[in-house]
Amino acid sequence: MSATDDGPTMVLVTRADLTLSTGKLAAQCAHAAVDCALVAKRSASRLFERWKAGGARKIVLQCDTLEEMKRLYGAAQKANLVTSMIKDAGHTEIPSGTITVIGIGPSPRRSMEALTGELKLVR
Amino acid sequence: MGIRSFIHRLTAPPIKEHVPAGNYKLAIVVNNALKMKKGKIAAQVGHGAVSATLASSPALLDAWFSSGQAKICLKGDGDEHLLQLKKKAEQSGLPAVKIRDAGRTQIPAGSLTIVAIGPALKEDLETITGDLKLL
Repeated sequence: MSATDDGPTMVLVTRADLTLSTGKLAAQCAHAAVDCALVAKRSASRLFERWKAGGARKIVLQCDTLEEMKRLYGAAQKANLVTSMIKDAGHTEIPSGTITVIGIGPSPRRSMEALTGELKLVR
Repeated sequence: MGIRSFIHRLTAPPIKEHVPAGNYKLAIVVNNALKMKKGKIAAQVGHGAVSATLASSPALLDAWFSSGQAKICLKGDGDEHLLQLKKKAEQSGLPAVKIRDAGRTQIPAGSLTIVAIGPALKEDLETITGDLKLL
């Protein structure tokens, strides 16, 4: 992430310990993105508009375990950021109720960096 | 809630728009010719889903939410193919949005990455995207 640019960003955190197909992963990320966007539109509309105007930036990262993901989710909630946790309905690929993705933001990059700076990009 | 909006909520006529009951889905077609990586695809699909949601009418959105916000990711063959699908969807009266990438990473700026069709009835979607492969 470049430090020069502090536009609002949404971060989608996936789990490296689940093996999902590209399409499945993408759909789960889309769930989280839509969820966060709709919550932000209601609860943080100015931030939301700024995010949209800046190209609705999204970054997809991964963490290693479910515990790490839950910790991150808790930290994001404590920091008063928009959050969303996606549990899969389990129609395909994985058991029902599996937590697949969390979405955080949109929020200014600096506040996001503190939370997710350590995480790797999904390749 | 303010007193005025409270009164408005009590007295305003209900929203007229009516959508048929059934199974609603959002189809997200990814441009497979671009050879994007997994994370990039996920982010682009996210863009497509958010744009489609924001562009959708409230009644349609409600219907889609009650079918569990179903999303399917499909493979498209390239720019031509995606644009053709979008045109076909619009001609059948289905909502469709396209996403062009800002090109900060991986692919050239302005590349057409996604066409999202819907939310729409599953049966209507199938007439347009029925022969596409799952991603």
